[in-house]
Amino acid sequence: MVRGAGRGGRGMPGRGGMGRPPFSRPRVLMLRPPFDLILAEPAFPRCKPAPDDSALTQALLKRHTELCPTPTEQAAVLSLITKLQTVLDNLVVAPGDFAACQLEEVRQVGSYKKGTMMAGKNVADIVVIMKTLPTKEAVEGLSNKVNEELNKLMRAEGLSPVTCASHERGFTVTAAAAVRVLVTTLHQNLRKLEPEVHLDYKVISSHLAAIRHSRWFEENAHHSSIKVLIRLLRDMCARHAGLEPLTPWMIDLLAHHCIMNNPARQALPINVAFRRALSLLAGGLFLPGCAGLPDPCEAAHSRAHTALDLVAQDHAAATAQTLLRVVARGGHRYVLGLQAFEGGKDISTEITVWDGVVVSPLAPAYSDTPEPMDTDDKDEEGTQDGVAA
Amino acid sequence: MMAANNYFGFTHGGTQYGAATASAAYGGQTGYAVAPAATAATYGTQRAAATGYDTAYQAAAATQAAHAHAHAAAAAASAYDASKSAYYQQAAAAYPAAPPQPQPTYDATAKPAYSTPATYAQGARGSGGAKAAYGSVYSAPAPAASYPSQPYSAPAQPAKPLYNAATMYVAQQNKTGGGGGGGRSGWKNYNKSGVGAGLGRRPKPPPKAQQLHYCDVCRISCAGPQTYKEHLEGQKHKKKEAAVKLAAAGGGGGGARACGASALRCELCDVTCTGADAYAAHVRGIKHQKVVKLHTMLGKPIPSTEPVKLQPAKKTVAGAPKIAFVASGGLSTVGCSADCPPGDKEDEREDDADAEPEVQPVGQDYIEEIRGDDGKALSFNCKLCDCKFNDPNAKEMHMKGRRHRLQYKKKVQPDLEVKVKPSMHQRKLAEAKAQRMLVRDELWARRRMHDGVEEDDRVYWEGADWWRGPHHHHHHAMGMGYGPVGRRPETSDDRHVLAKHADIYPPEQQLQDIQRAVSHTEKALKSLSDALADQGKLKGQPAKVAAKVDDKKEEKPEGKEDGRDNQLFSFVGEGEAAPSGSPATPGPGTAGARALKGVMRVGLLAKGLLLRGDRDVRLVVLCHDRPTVTLLKRVAADLPHHLSRVKGSSEEPKYKVELLPAEGAVSVSDGSVNVLVSLTSAIMREPAEGGDIKRDDKDVLPRQKCLDALAALRHAKWFQARAASLQSCVIIIRIMRDLCRRIPNWTPLNPYAMELLVSGVMQSAGGALSPGEALRRVMEAAAGGLLLDHGPGLRDPCEKDLVDALGNLPPQKREDLTASAQQFLRQIAFRQIHKVLDMEPLPKVKHAAGNWKFPRKRRRSNTDQDPDTPNGDNKVVKKEDNSE
Repeated sequence: MVRGAGRGGRGMPGRGGMGRPPFSRPRVLMLRPPFDLILAEPAFPRCKPAPDDSALTQALLKRHTELCPTPTEQAAVLSLITKLQTVLDNLVVAPGDFAACQLEEVRQVGSYKKGTMMAGKNVADIVVIMKTLPTKEAVEGLSNKVNEELNKLMRAEGLSPVTCASHERGFTVTAAAAVRVLVTTLHQNLRKLEPEVHLDYKVISSHLAAIRHSRWFEENAHHSSIKVLIRLLRDMCARHAGLEPLTPWMIDLLAHHCIMNNPARQALPINVAFRRALSLLAGGLFLPGCAGLPDPCEAAHSRAHTALDLVAQDHAAATAQTLLRVVARGGHRYVLGLQAFEGGKDISTEITVWDGVVVSPLAPAYSDTPEPMDTDDKDEEGTQDGVAA
Repeated sequence: MMAANNYFGFTHGGTQYGAATASAAYGGQTGYAVAPAATAATYGTQRAAATGYDTAYQAAAATQAAHAHAHAAAAAASAYDASKSAYYQQAAAAYPAAPPQPQPTYDATAKPAYSTPATYAQGARGSGGAKAAYGSVYSAPAPAASYPSQPYSAPAQPAKPLYNAATMYVAQQNKTGGGGGGGRSGWKNYNKSGVGAGLGRRPKPPPKAQQLHYCDVCRISCAGPQTYKEHLEGQKHKKKEAAVKLAAAGGGGGGARACGASALRCELCDVTCTGADAYAAHVRGIKHQKVVKLHTMLGKPIPSTEPVKLQPAKKTVAGAPKIAFVASGGLSTVGCSADCPPGDKEDEREDDADAEPEVQPVGQDYIEEIRGDDGKALSFNCKLCDCKFNDPNAKEMHMKGRRHRLQYKKKVQPDLEVKVKPSMHQRKLAEAKAQRMLVRDELWARRRMHDGVEEDDRVYWEGADWWRGPHHHHHHAMGMGYGPVGRRPETSDDRHVLAKHADIYPPEQQLQDIQRAVSHTEKALKSLSDALADQGKLKGQPAKVAAKVDDKKEEKPEGKEDGRDNQLFSFVGEGEAAPSGSPATPGPGTAGARALKGVMRVGLLAKGLLLRGDRDVRLVVLCHDRPTVTLLKRVAADLPHHLSRVKGSSEEPKYKVELLPAEGAVSVSDGSVNVLVSLTSAIMREPAEGGDIKRDDKDVLPRQKCLDALAALRHAKWFQARAASLQSCVIIIRIMRDLCRRIPNWTPLNPYAMELLVSGVMQSAGGALSPGEALRRVMEAAAGGLLLDHGPGLRDPCEKDLVDALGNLPPQKREDLTASAQQFLRQIAFRQIHKVLDMEPLPKVKHAAGNWKFPRKRRRSNTDQDPDTPNGDNKVVKKEDNSE
């Protein structure tokens, strides 16, 4: 039941960067995982012939080829990130007169590192860990320095110069491709951050988390099926408003779960895994009160989906529920984006008819005004009495 | 301490004043210029005097603690200083005499000293000012150079301040003896309110033409008497005066300033600088220049621009002779430096150089220049420290400064080394700690804010153990540590499900009615079976049947002779038992068997799924052979007779028996309860298997009905064997039955499929589920598409073949069912389970203050309060279902 138990926060010494204040320590995760048909197979043995899923499989594979970045894109990103890595490595090893900040480490993260880049989004991510605290000035200084050094390299190779643009996460180096340089700092510095002087705490720690994520991914999710499913799911989520709030990390975890987490521990076929992903989302994997997916890169008991707010959780579940029924009625081409639905409308919000079966979207369940019973955990005698009366 | 201070002070004050009266010459500034020379000249005697004081001091301070030394020393010094200033003026007349016999002299001179205050008052206008003046610089440069090897050369420094004892030269000259009383009071008030004394005299305007109005405390000159007066009344002056006085009172003026080892001091301006840079800036500064100019104009000695170093207090106890010269009677902070011999001083400087290595300015990037229109830098703004400078020098210094470095360390480079002031160490630590706590709190607060959810709610939505109560309880309970909670307390969902369950559970009366009707029917059927057996074969004997009944009685002490245990109630006696031994599976080969072999409760009754309002129950009678219409008619005809026999004399229930040939059953009704008795036989299934068809027999009851009855029999057995043992399963199936009754979308789901679904879901959970969780999990399964076309279907465990219990549920129904489950699931997740259950939301669990700490206790008290909560019912249900 306690699925997250025993999973230590790898790479998170102490609670410096933990998102949890200490009073949450004595908590015990008592939530249970959602119903998962793959895992519940013994209780629900198939009693009728499995449907012919080749159409779905074909569609999935076709869509995946469309989503893979072209060799040109990949080459562009590779070339840029290699140079950038060189420049940053030099700054780590021999900062010279560069005093705006001190670099500890440079790591590639994100979809490029994981091998899940999507076509048309050739943006790689690289995390720079500063020894010094990440002030805006330091980021600016690093940006300028990188720009200068990178342009030296570019000139040497006769390439067009790059541009660096700072933003709240770091800065982005743009040439033919783009590399986002995400700035973070050492763990022990996290608590020294001040909102007005430094980059935002959440941003900083999310960059640290990104490092953990890519490391976890390297170790656990290298199976190509997972990467295929990640691309498909990311594409699907991007095209349906309700699923948009799902972060890449949630999708990574979901894809990994769907492909690998089965009794046989063998990668599931892509069509089964895709249906499973939809079915889990529809079955409330990312709803409150559900164990969801334990985050392997955070302290035990932390769940991946709590990053979503409640409205988003509700909306995501409702969208997945509608999509599940659409796919069940054979509408996967629309869901996958192989075919635009009625001029680009979001199929998850439309009433559709498939062979006389009406599939309708669902109303949101979450309402902002809490029901009176929501005061369960509040100690307001007055409210209580009012409700009781 | 102060006594000593006064004592010495007055002693020498006396000598001094004696001189002061005579020092009309002082009014002339010209005379002034020679003073330094005088100092130098008189040093020899000074030394002698010092020795004298030393002894005096030692005597006085013999019993005093080390700390007191400083004060004593200060006192002595002030005395000494005072005498020295007298020295200048008087050409050291008094001195030769005084030092040789220190102790006695003091005694002797004490009185005279006191008698002269009037004169003093004359000379020293504004005693506060006088006191302050002691602290000022007189002739810094001279001593170090002149007496490098002498231990007493250092005292020359204290000598400097002394000189300025005379405050207002103008006033000094003009003062008349009239101020005697005032002067006295001034002295008396000296320790309390020197200011007051000064004020008392102020009204008198300086009549003379000497137009330089110089305030010695503040070291400024005023343009005229009016401004001077205003100055004296001004806040700034008073502040300064008070500070000086405080320093005097405290004795350790230097200590009060809490200066570090490297503090430098401009004697001229009485300004302490924190470093060489700061000092340099000060010397360059306009204020210092003004003072220098003023002093030059006044003919006052200008001390060297060499900074005076302030020493840490510990050095003052270095040696007795030195102490004699210490620190200007607390009249000024210079005191500390007094005891430092020049040689030491040199060392100090080197030490300082070591201790304060040239710091690299840091954080250039964080200082932005604010430029004027002409592009010239007007001012600088340090973003780290949030301060501004107009001067590039100041900026440079700021960048080297400790404060800036600390900020830099804090905000930019955490590993930057910043020297910690030893004296400030403790405070720094405390501050740093407080700061850390603050930052941490802030972080948490911020993070909590970012969560976007109220903390209370977060406890729920983020899951963990939201049932434990509000968040702030966690705060209180932090140190207590929760013991492992043995059982999960009820969640809100659980309470709703259980409340709903209690609502739909049939009332006791209804259960009894049903029980009675069924029991009577069963007994009547047995009686009928016996009659049939007797009549037909004349084989069975009533005695044997009675024995059989006795056997039954063993199991059921109350002696009820029916199928209450929901197992097959066999009519077959021991002796006539089938060879197979199992009455439940009578083989066709059983020779001479009864026509009616046994009866069993099936359906809702057997499964314990009756809900409030349910009136129809089913019994299945197993026949030996194919049940025929003839047999059915026979049963229908004879049953009323047997019923009335069974129910005894009471006329209460009037049973009505109805023949339903199309159903292959008879219906027994007592008005409120309908018992449907179906006849079937195990061999009805066999033709299909064996292909041995005896369809020709028109008399046989409809085959499908018989098969259904058989299936119902198996379902009941399956249910008892598998589903009933799963925790929460029966409750949830009841709840789901209610749901299926209420909601059109769910109606197409046949009861058996629903039971299979729920039990499968429970089974797959791999652990016990609370009712709330169980319901949610069922919804999850349905929402996840389990019932959709591509799903695996619900395999019927009671069939050998792969049969989908869902049957051919139309796609639209499946779709609607799934959609409805999906909506319900989200409603459950968002705490609207009452909408799913179609009930009023329950009020929150009330927990009395303090109860929250002990969830177990709360739970218990909760059940105590409501004895009729579903928990209790649950037990009742179980008993009803399984016991007996």
